[in-house]
Amino acid sequence: MKQVIALNVNDDIYEVLVAPNHTLLEVLRDKLGLTGTKRGCDLGACGSCSVLVDGEAYLSCLLPAVEAVGKEIVTIEGLGEGGDLHPLQQSFVEVGGLQCGFCTPGMIITAKAILDEEPDATEESIKKKMAGNLCRCTGYKKIIEAVESASEKMGGKR
Amino acid sequence: MKLPKFEYRRPESIQEACAILLDRPSAKVLAGGTDLLVNMKHRVETPPMVVSLKGLADLKYVRTADGGVRIGALTPLKKVYNDPFVAEKLPALAVAASSVGSWHHQTMGTIGGNLCQQTRCKYFNQAKWWRSSRPLCFKAGGDLCHVAKKEHVCYSTYCGDVAPALLVLDAQVVLTGKDGSTQVPLESIFSGEGKTPLKLEQGQILTEIVIPDHAADGFSTYKKAANRGSIDFPIVGAALWRSNSNGGSRIALTAVDRKPLRARQLEDFLRNKEITEEIVEAVDSLVGKEIRLMMSSTDTLSYKRRLIGILVKGALREAMGGK
Repeated sequence: MKQVIALNVNDDIYEVLVAPNHTLLEVLRDKLGLTGTKRGCDLGACGSCSVLVDGEAYLSCLLPAVEAVGKEIVTIEGLGEGGDLHPLQQSFVEVGGLQCGFCTPGMIITAKAILDEEPDATEESIKKKMAGNLCRCTGYKKIIEAVESASEKMGGKR
Repeated sequence: MKLPKFEYRRPESIQEACAILLDRPSAKVLAGGTDLLVNMKHRVETPPMVVSLKGLADLKYVRTADGGVRIGALTPLKKVYNDPFVAEKLPALAVAASSVGSWHHQTMGTIGGNLCQQTRCKYFNQAKWWRSSRPLCFKAGGDLCHVAKKEHVCYSTYCGDVAPALLVLDAQVVLTGKDGSTQVPLESIFSGEGKTPLKLEQGQILTEIVIPDHAADGFSTYKKAANRGSIDFPIVGAALWRSNSNGGSRIALTAVDRKPLRARQLEDFLRNKEITEEIVEAVDSLVGKEIRLMMSSTDTLSYKRRLIGILVKGALREAMGGK
């Protein structure tokens, strides 16, 4: 049965009509128009649908939207402030941490969760934690460099 | 891939959850969702009702008590391996929990959900259209098994990482039902049947994992071989615990049978023996006798048999050089 739920996405409250089988990913993209979050495998294996749920990196394709009620959700659209890019986004641009760009929102969201938890994350730790975010252009080296560069910008001690 | 339609319930208490499950035997329990929802997207499981346990906040904890540890079933895997006591004293559990899927799965997935995960098979963990090229297998609601041509036996394999680690740590689990809770050895909840891998009673929910104090008095480790080191189920996996005080060992294997397996012949062989290179080399033939491999994954039986030997030997060598 469909029900109206309130979702806190990027500090805005949205009231949406959802069925229990609607995932957060579907609601974000198809109901809220927040298409920055990408639908890749849709089976929790590629990481391109990553969003922050209460600050942690979640796979939005495996989270029913009804389970996200009462949580703070942050998508790639919610990272920058006042039109300025987030230091992570800036670093991905500067270092060239993307090719086709499809995996990038998920990569940046996961990187945000990593640096929030571990501001001076080592290369090894970044690699381990981002292993669930696949890039089929195989540009991993630049992606790791971009996260390291952002870590410096954001004041993480290295 | 859309989820099939289902009725959603979110009970506020365990008793309420048990009552719903008793009332609706076909309902499925949802914890982290990283196993159930994937299977539902594949239409391998299509429960008419999903009972979410997310409303039960009091099942997320790692508590040290009486020298042992009690872990709430809804504790995310990440919280388990980040716990200082688990990381230091129960390395097999820490290594196993941190080897599950990717960081996201460790964040979303719970320890109880990981133990209760579905068995896996190359004919079963596929999209519906992929499976539609041949008759439905027994596990998916049909009449035969594509792995072994026997009717009404499902040979899907238990591939959990955490179960073998907890088995060697001599863990027990608390099962809560309408009439209260019982504490049973972890090993007893696995049926050994692919079709219904868990032996829980109707309306029972796994609510807590209890690791006794003597588990911390020993060396432990978990070894896993996977196609991708970063994010994958094990091709095979092996956990070892070796007592610091009484010469006993426990070994448990995963992805080698329809349930996680205690390697008891091997444990008997190792009892009161100092681990030497000769002993390590001798275990290979014994490991082969313990396992019941089937062609349920894309890896050949001989490959898996060799791999599991290598993992057990690796674990023993680590114990030899370790603490």
